[in-house]
Amino acid sequence: MDRAQPRLIGRGDLLAALDRAAAKKVTIISAPAGSGKTSLLRAWADRPGQPHRLAVMQVQRDQRDAQQFWLALLRVVRQASVPTSRAEPPAATPDFNGRAMVDRVISELAGQRGRFILIIDDLHELISLDALAQLTRLLTDLPGDVHAVLATRRDLPLRLHQLRLAGELAEIRAADLRFSERETRELLDASGIALSDAGVALLHQRTEGWAAGLRLAVISLADHPDPERFVAEFSGSDRTVAEYLIAEMLERQPDDVKDLLLRTSLLDRVNGELADLLTGRPGSERILLELENANAFVVSLDPGRTWFRYHHLFGDLLRLELRRALPEEVPGLHRRAADWFLRHGQVVDAIRHIQAAGDWPRAARLLADYSFSMTLDGQTQTIQALVQAFPPGADHPELALVHATVDLIQGRLDEAAAHLAVAETYAETAPLDRQRRLHVALASLKLSLARRRGHLAGVLEQAKFLASPVTGQSDEDIALGSELRAVALMNLGIIEAWSQGLPDAERHLQEGADLARQIGRPYLEVACLAQLGFASRIRSFAITRQRCREAVALAERHGWGAEPVIAPALVTLAGNLVWTGEFDESERWLQRTERALQTDAGPGIRQLLHLAAGRLHAGRGRHYEALEELRAAEHLQSQLAGPHAMTSQVTGWMLATQARAGMPSQARASLEALTDERANAGEIRNARAVICLVEGDPAAALDALAKVLDGTAPVVGYVTVVETHLLAGLAHRELGDQRAANQSAERALGLAEPDRLVLPFVMTGSGELLEALPRHETVHAALLADILDVVHGSSLAAQDQSSPPQTEELSPSELRVLRYLPTNLSRPEIASELSVSVNTVNTHVRNIYAKLQARDRSSAVQRARELRLLSTGLTR
Amino acid sequence: MDPAPARYAIRIHGHLGATVLSAFPALVPQHHGADTVLTGLLDRSALYGVLAEVEALGLDLVEIRQLGPQPKSPESGESRSP
Repeated sequence: MDRAQPRLIGRGDLLAALDRAAAKKVTIISAPAGSGKTSLLRAWADRPGQPHRLAVMQVQRDQRDAQQFWLALLRVVRQASVPTSRAEPPAATPDFNGRAMVDRVISELAGQRGRFILIIDDLHELISLDALAQLTRLLTDLPGDVHAVLATRRDLPLRLHQLRLAGELAEIRAADLRFSERETRELLDASGIALSDAGVALLHQRTEGWAAGLRLAVISLADHPDPERFVAEFSGSDRTVAEYLIAEMLERQPDDVKDLLLRTSLLDRVNGELADLLTGRPGSERILLELENANAFVVSLDPGRTWFRYHHLFGDLLRLELRRALPEEVPGLHRRAADWFLRHGQVVDAIRHIQAAGDWPRAARLLADYSFSMTLDGQTQTIQALVQAFPPGADHPELALVHATVDLIQGRLDEAAAHLAVAETYAETAPLDRQRRLHVALASLKLSLARRRGHLAGVLEQAKFLASPVTGQSDEDIALGSELRAVALMNLGIIEAWSQGLPDAERHLQEGADLARQIGRPYLEVACLAQLGFASRIRSFAITRQRCREAVALAERHGWGAEPVIAPALVTLAGNLVWTGEFDESERWLQRTERALQTDAGPGIRQLLHLAAGRLHAGRGRHYEALEELRAAEHLQSQLAGPHAMTSQVTGWMLATQARAGMPSQARASLEALTDERANAGEIRNARAVICLVEGDPAAALDALAKVLDGTAPVVGYVTVVETHLLAGLAHRELGDQRAANQSAERALGLAEPDRLVLPFVMTGSGELLEALPRHETVHAALLADILDVVHGSSLAAQDQSSPPQTEELSPSELRVLRYLPTNLSRPEIASELSVSVNTVNTHVRNIYAKLQARDRSSAVQRARELRLLSTGLTR
Repeated sequence: MDPAPARYAIRIHGHLGATVLSAFPALVPQHHGADTVLTGLLDRSALYGVLAEVEALGLDLVEIRQLGPQPKSPESGESRSP
């Protein structure tokens, strides 16, 4: 082999054409197999003295998985980046958001300094319309100093007319790539082949300047005793160029080389060990290295030169020759390759080879066995592609499980349930050694199905096994068990968080996150943490915020900041910020949630989104917009299995908003249609009161509120009670009882103080009620001032990021005293309120002034308000 | 929906040898001058499969023709020369 040394020749004209093209944004090289696209790109990229950085990506053969395509693209861009990114290496997620991924690649490219060239070779192998559409967007929105080069065998459905119109698209086609007669001569000279001018002309004419043909000819000519005769015979043959030349080339190889080429041709990539296995002989690695050195259509894939692949055309021709020459060996070769891949944990390759061997039952078994872990690895589109490769009509009961997996991911819950039933029946008859795997996969699917349906009892039933410890003989058993536990804890926690009154939710989600971290499943960890914030939302606003921000930070480290997995944390944070009147900040998080939810959703999370958006509109006094969002939220209720934590809030707010928007009669009609049980909920009672107030019947409003105030009506959380007090205050005011109105307002302020709730005051329209409250009668003057700001149309600035750190922290007792400073109570009065001595109050006040660097009471209050110290919940 | 399978004639420049022909087991080859014409009954996805194979092997595709409406019986179809 080493006698044949065909060299790449410098094709100066083509390199210059590429240079000219690089002045535009995008270059497309579209030409048939073997035209020399890849060699040209390599020669162009390898020219010395190039000032730019270069990312080269080769699309995998028959790539149907958009996510795998984009992850590979992101990886090569990152590798070429300076400075190297400190983010976690990109990993797949079960629910892939293509749009967010394109944004990620664009921002990675935008962060590059200087010229950057992105080469995507073999783009025709990308069989995903989604991925091509996403790629169109990337190419259209390429940052300024980035140039992209695409090589493909045929024109692709990329919609690049905008670029073409703007003169930003360069195209190089087959005719441009053809070797001229002069270049043919140069190629032969460079390979040390002596041929007459007539011979060169003949060769050029016969191959029509086709690069692959010329290079095949060169390999055979290099050690041919009579090159002129070779060319003459070749020209006289009526067989196609490639076929004639590959047969000639193989004919001239030593037997071991020929055998290796044929037997390994059915692999997409090959290494020495694998080639030894398929040929049954040692020493394959040396042959592969020599073939690459000889430039004989073999290229190494890694810097260490351990993995190789054949040029596609060459490999395809070899494969045909293998099937013709050794047909009876082909299935056995595939099986041996599959076993090797399986031993090395490369399940997808293994399944593909078993399919190619025609062993469909075994392929179905393997796919069923591994679908659970493949799902956790985010290879859902790959699973779909593997399922589609089965011959139609063949019925493999194992595949029911795989179909159920795909159905569930695509939100087809009824189909998933039907497939699950078939899969369960099958699992009972499976041999014992496989039952464990199948049961794990089934359990995970059933959990996920029940959770997506919002079916609490179903999830509890499926998660019963959590009570017993992980058991199992092998490491694999234990690993599977841990993965299932983490999945179960996540689903359990989510459903508990959705069903009111199950404090276990937080514990389960925390345990699930911890376990996921231990077993190296960051996606599951982020999924648990994203829900954890939501689970704690009723207990404490501060904890909720902190947890949401932590979850978002972790998701961002993995590049999932805009994936559906983090949406629960995003929307919870958005909703949380509305409660405290930070409307502008809330709106930003809502927009982020919407971006993250562009792919999947599920009715539950969408409902949260509409609810938060509705509250935001309501907070800004836009009743009609609020009503629209709340109606959408209510509508989604029908897709969930039963009432959940949010049901009463959604309905209550919708009715109240309807009444406030001037439609009290419709609101009342809907109200009267509710069952007694639902109508008894605190949130619905509040809505009834709002309707009564609009109807001009404050006494009836008070009547509706009585059971919330005395604690006999169930409520979602204390936020409902704050609203109740305010509505009672409004009713008292209507009835002319100012004293009772003031008391109600003060109670609402007292409840709202720890979390600094603002929204209930704004939504109920309590501005006048609060303004009428004498300042000396409230100990919540600071909160009151904030609320009135929002009532008068401003959005409060975000709290938790702006505090200057240099302030020394106040002690809890100092904070208690601080709360009274905005009132006009004197120090002795404060002392008696707090049941401490005046001296103690004096000491605290001195410390407060010092720590806040304040001169007097009013500047201390001013500073404390800036630092948002007047409400920390510590006083409770 | 896929239209019904139809008979196609796919004309490729050059004479295909046994190796390359083995890539098209469902088609009947015939030499026509310097070209090879492959004929057979193909549904839509099989047609695309054949075209992908032609592309992958770097063959020089001259023409694809659909041969009239589907004949009643395979015999009558075979008797018609492409």
